[in-house]
Amino acid sequence: MRSRRLAAAAGVVLAASVALAGCGRDSGGGQEEAKSVGAGKASGDITVWAMGSEGEKLAEFAKEFSTANPDAKVSVTAVPWDAAHQKIASAIAAKQTPDVSMIGTTWQGEFAKTGALDPTPSDLIKKDEFFPGAWDTTIVDSTSYGVPWYVETRLIYYRKDLAAKAGFPDGPKTWDDLKAMAKGMKEKAGAKWGLNLQPGKTGSWQSVLPFAWSNGADVASADKLSFDTPEMTEALAYYQSFFTEGLSPTALPDGSLEPGFVKGEIGAFISGPWHMGIVEEQGGAGFKDKYAVAQMPTKKSSTSFIGGSNLAVFKDAKNRDGGWKFVQWLSKPEVQVKWYQAVKDLPAVQSAWTDPALTGDTFLAAFGQQLKSAKAPPSIPTWEQIAAAFDLEVEKLCKQNADASATAKAIQEKASAIGTGS
Amino acid sequence: MAGAPAATAPARPAGATSPVRPAGSVRRRQRLRRALTGWAFSAPFTVLFVVFMALPVMASLVMSFTDLRSTDLRNPLAVNVVGIDNYIRLFSDDLFLRSSVNTLVFVVVGVPLTMVLALAAATALNSGLVRFRALFRVGFYLPVVTSIVAIAVVWRFLLDPEIGLVNNLLRLVGIDGPSWLFDSRLALPSLIVMAAWRNFGFLMVIFLAGLQAVPADLYEAATLDGATRWQQFRNVTLPMLRPTLLFGGVVTGIGYLQLFEEPFVMTQGGPLSSTLSVSFHIYNQFGFGNYGYAAAASYVLFLAIVALSVVQFRLLGERN
Repeated sequence: MRSRRLAAAAGVVLAASVALAGCGRDSGGGQEEAKSVGAGKASGDITVWAMGSEGEKLAEFAKEFSTANPDAKVSVTAVPWDAAHQKIASAIAAKQTPDVSMIGTTWQGEFAKTGALDPTPSDLIKKDEFFPGAWDTTIVDSTSYGVPWYVETRLIYYRKDLAAKAGFPDGPKTWDDLKAMAKGMKEKAGAKWGLNLQPGKTGSWQSVLPFAWSNGADVASADKLSFDTPEMTEALAYYQSFFTEGLSPTALPDGSLEPGFVKGEIGAFISGPWHMGIVEEQGGAGFKDKYAVAQMPTKKSSTSFIGGSNLAVFKDAKNRDGGWKFVQWLSKPEVQVKWYQAVKDLPAVQSAWTDPALTGDTFLAAFGQQLKSAKAPPSIPTWEQIAAAFDLEVEKLCKQNADASATAKAIQEKASAIGTGS
Repeated sequence: MAGAPAATAPARPAGATSPVRPAGSVRRRQRLRRALTGWAFSAPFTVLFVVFMALPVMASLVMSFTDLRSTDLRNPLAVNVVGIDNYIRLFSDDLFLRSSVNTLVFVVVGVPLTMVLALAAATALNSGLVRFRALFRVGFYLPVVTSIVAIAVVWRFLLDPEIGLVNNLLRLVGIDGPSWLFDSRLALPSLIVMAAWRNFGFLMVIFLAGLQAVPADLYEAATLDGATRWQQFRNVTLPMLRPTLLFGGVVTGIGYLQLFEEPFVMTQGGPLSSTLSVSFHIYNQFGFGNYGYAAAASYVLFLAIVALSVVQFRLLGERN
């Protein structure tokens, strides 16, 4: 009895595996042709998913679109960031997608590879209008699968008073400047730490890669990963030197960066535009005059990291044309400026930055300047996994004093084992 | 439900009124009817179990032999069967090995620690602390029912190197405390202590029930024989508690092998992967979209749990 049951179970497994073997992975891939979008006004229901504050504000914001396109109705579903990846993945698996969804730039490779995203129609969306780094995040296998919606990049935040005492009243310009300023802040200006750098942990690659890019390293393209280069090693060694020379903390508790910066214990740090609001709130009135932002320091170039979110239309969309028209409307320069005013998202469209709403603020202008050359890692489905391995090696580099070239080799080894997912 | 009487009612007349029929066929029919009735009653559970438990479990087992990734979502059947490749890869995966060692340390140190704490608290409550027994019982049990997120926030404050209570107390006696959660040698021990503190209340309640079930005359007899309190504990209490201890060990072992919440909310597996557990590693792999690989790791963890439970039954189970 028992053996018969076992035999039956084995049979089921065998049958299943044979059935699965019969339908192996087809090699596929390669460039995909975009279909054009019909002319005229948008019509019908357009369903949109968006995360975070974008999800909360978009429904109200889209009313203007409905006024211009009376036959169209935009319904926005707000999705919490935590649940968004899973929700979109489930929707793709069930072929029950919305027409349009906001997509984190690092998810682009994965979702495009499933074949669920519609290639961007070039007759409707013009590539040159966007920041080149942002546009690159939509490209998977040389086809664009979405449109940059908003962007962010990283700059050096520094205390003006401490920087002046350290001998850099206008902030650092080069790698040597940054090092000398951090040292001066610690030794001459009495700061506890000259510069806060992320010592590994999730997302530290976003602070390390700008140094590598600024040193001319081309770490990854769509089909090749090259972390093990002299440029990368040099950048890693430079990053590490801040820890070995005691200028950067290896164990800063969560939430103590901003108070430390306000108190003058931390002289500088690297972050994105959201930190302006945080430090000004914590610093109180007048703190805006006490700090400034500087471009990423130059070695061969000044290249920062570009992040943000894209908008994508799904192949399974019920209203594909309406979806693309809505996306096109959101990409208009004047709409991008209004969107900035509504939720403080920085425009991905370059011409929007000539608007006085953005040029008036020197801090913002600095971000706009950096965005022109900022870069993103290639949109490959395995990037998150490679980044996690990268973060772990960076942690060893910063905390255990691992050798920089050995770190570069280890990253390369792990990354090639993971592959580009193609 | 309504089908049950309807199904059994005609069976009896059929058997009673036609003696011509061979008795065997009637009995077979009766048995079939009864079986059908049984299945009808158990259908709600069976259907739910098959659809939501058995099928997913089977699917995940099949999945662990394929290279299914998140990019295959639209065509989940168009994947390659890779046999036991995923399992072989697991054992050359640095992080998986590291997480296995971490989890093993957590179980080997954490389970006995939790059980000893629970037994000590239960014994104390059972004998001496009669007056405030209810208060202590509530106090010790409170961490079990408190949300892990709240506990994590409080413990992160307690263990903070600068402003934390632990290091401030150490400073009082002149010791400069370490940064507990940021030190790769101390992070896992810190989590073990926290987990033991959090979970011993549950076992304490179980053990207390076990202690109260020990007949008082056994102790009387032991006292008459001149046994000390320690001897009574060793030779009366512990043997009588053996089934309770087995239960506590198995339940805690299963829970601790699936260590996830503590590192997830306290350390994110860091520093330097020193608190990365197997479950956390599996969670990460699912997050990276390596579904086949993560499923294989889950089955390895499942086998480890079965093995640990078997070992505990061997060690603490009934002895003849």
